[in-house]
Amino acid sequence: MTENQTETESNTDESASRPLELGGLAGTFGTTDHKNIGKLYIFFGLTGGLLSFVLHFLVRIERVNIGGTSILDFGSSNQFFQTWSLSRTSLLFFCVVPLILGLATYVVPLQVGAPSIAFPRAAAGAFWAWLIGIAIHVVTVFSDGGLGVPEPVTQFAQGMDPEATELSILSIAMVVIAILLASVTLITTIITQRPQGMTLFDLPLFSWSTLVATGIWILTLPIWLGNLMIAWVDFKGDDALRYGNVSNIWDQVSWLWSQPMIFAFAIPILGIAGEIIPVSANQTQRQYVFQQIGIGALGVLSFGAFAQPFFNADVGNQAVYVGMGLIIVLPVLAFFGGLLDTLAKGTPKISAQLILALISMLSLLVATSISALHVSGPALGAIQEIDSDWLGGIINWLKDLQGTVIATAVMEHALIASILASIAGLYYWSPKIFGIKMNNNVGILAGLSIFGGLLLSGGSNLINGFLDEGESVYLSNAYEGVWNQGAVEFINVLGLIGSILLIGGISLTILDLIISVTLGKGDTENAGNPWNGHTLEWATQSPPPSGNFDEPPIVHSERPLFTSGGMEQ
Amino acid sequence: MNLRTTDLPVAPPVRGRTPLVAAGFGIAAMLMYFAGIFGVYLKERAQVRSEGSSWIPDKVTIELTQPGMVIWTLLISIFVMQWAVYSIKRDDRQHALLAIGTTLVMGAMVLVQTAWHLSQTNLIADEGPTTAATLIYTIVGSYVVAIVIGMIILLLTGFRTLAGQYGSQQTDGVVAASLYWYSLVFIYFIIWIAVFIAK
Repeated sequence: MTENQTETESNTDESASRPLELGGLAGTFGTTDHKNIGKLYIFFGLTGGLLSFVLHFLVRIERVNIGGTSILDFGSSNQFFQTWSLSRTSLLFFCVVPLILGLATYVVPLQVGAPSIAFPRAAAGAFWAWLIGIAIHVVTVFSDGGLGVPEPVTQFAQGMDPEATELSILSIAMVVIAILLASVTLITTIITQRPQGMTLFDLPLFSWSTLVATGIWILTLPIWLGNLMIAWVDFKGDDALRYGNVSNIWDQVSWLWSQPMIFAFAIPILGIAGEIIPVSANQTQRQYVFQQIGIGALGVLSFGAFAQPFFNADVGNQAVYVGMGLIIVLPVLAFFGGLLDTLAKGTPKISAQLILALISMLSLLVATSISALHVSGPALGAIQEIDSDWLGGIINWLKDLQGTVIATAVMEHALIASILASIAGLYYWSPKIFGIKMNNNVGILAGLSIFGGLLLSGGSNLINGFLDEGESVYLSNAYEGVWNQGAVEFINVLGLIGSILLIGGISLTILDLIISVTLGKGDTENAGNPWNGHTLEWATQSPPPSGNFDEPPIVHSERPLFTSGGMEQ
Repeated sequence: MNLRTTDLPVAPPVRGRTPLVAAGFGIAAMLMYFAGIFGVYLKERAQVRSEGSSWIPDKVTIELTQPGMVIWTLLISIFVMQWAVYSIKRDDRQHALLAIGTTLVMGAMVLVQTAWHLSQTNLIADEGPTTAATLIYTIVGSYVVAIVIGMIILLLTGFRTLAGQYGSQQTDGVVAASLYWYSLVFIYFIIWIAVFIAK
């Protein structure tokens, strides 16, 4: 029995006045408690991560033998494309987004001292709509649907099913609407439910990053939804002309997985690392406002709705796109520097969450650096006034990097960094969420496995980008003009090993969750505030009771539990 | 277990800003949705016209009578909706309900006129499918969905007003509904100019 359970039981008068909580299936399906909704998101997000990494593995197998026959015998380039595109949609919508939403839905109301999330029924509705939407999408893609076919072929010539394709489009639209609804509930909670004394500049960094991320999602995902709807309306017509033509659908929506938009899904990495690292170092974060500005700057620079190559083919050479790609590394670098400074000045305790937070920040830094490299050709081209053949050659070579798998390297680094940060958050907040500490050593192993997988998979894409492997690996001409086919194949073998490590890492996390939490083998001692956390979520019981706090807290600093006099009891 | 009303927990204090803030973000999302579609529409239109082709097929005639009626209906609905806000701030639920109900009827009128307009225009019957037809159907169809959502919000607001949830002490629900409705009028104004007038 934990210390917190004792507290709960000794306070029977108070618990009698709390809302009646249903258990079992009724409790699961009918819950509007943000804590239960958060746990459901996390569970399904990890499951989706496993699915997307398995799909990633299948794609990687196919890429090992690029010159020969299909290894897995997908049957057609269409089936290969379906697997490839589903690995992307599931990585984003079935893993990264639900993991972020899960942690945010659970933790943010606690961090801002709220008794509940704003519009709890809308939050629950968003979760179920997301789950149903993503389930339908996965099923329809496996039923010869999906978001189009790769090459300009006669519609449905390759066995695509029109009903399944239509359902694929509509189900992913449903997922986006659900994410928007969840975002509105979160951002409204942060803005309106804060306790007395907590200004926006006193927000914990994770809540601040959630505010920025959901704000950017609210401003950009509707534009993506608009692209989907245009494609759907055209697809429904008797003869799809352009937008609904199956060979064009993916091209219209692919900007969500490209820079700079992909970094909008990496913003919470800064928030999670910004919570974990100062607590691990037992220090307050110096230059707190500058850290908040750093997160805000990443948000602004990740607004990528304008960068739609389907409607603006020359966007890769335009000043705004190139400028954003070049400077997006700066806020990440400054933020990471601030965290390392805090770490160096403190007495860090090595833990799974600290290691995971550090490597997630490092991965994001690499992602933004590759992004800068990706646009360096047009950037240098814009200032080219030297009449030099060798310089022109270098610029042209750098320009040719656009359209190669370097874009995939940016995406993998950004999204897998988000997964690493989410797992860091899971280990950090597991005593709060479950009342049980997850296994530290397993967490380190899982983190290193995913990081190793990222180095091999993302790194192989980076190197193969220099060898001119095309980004659209499903196209028959993706390998035309590669510098050395044998080298590309060998490097893709390393990428294949990387995808095995990714599967291993996420499986270890799921296994630890099952053993530590579901089977109750985890450490339950001192679950109240085992890390000496600084923020409000640690001021209540673990797991928190219904209503979260016995009394509405009043705070006077961004680290109320760390600063003397930071909180009124 | 017998539960009495007194056993239930005291409701947390209602924060007045919550529905307004949520409505603001919801409206922002809707505006961005339409901004995205308008962006595609104008870009594609400019592309076709720069090639010397006509954007709207020659045989298609877009009548302006119905869009003109819709814009006037919506402009009047702004005053009616503001009447609802004015009334609820003065605890005059009867007139607030009357105003909300009238706005609902105006919403229904917009739907009928829009459907009639699309059937009259017959964008694809003469020339077959065109990219212009696809984008106009997407814009107008999305707008019809937005109007239906607005009518559902008005209906819920009306029921809550009827139940006494809104009054001079708590006006946010009605104000939030009115803000959403005003944003619908703004969007139609853009459709009216960019799609129907400018063609």
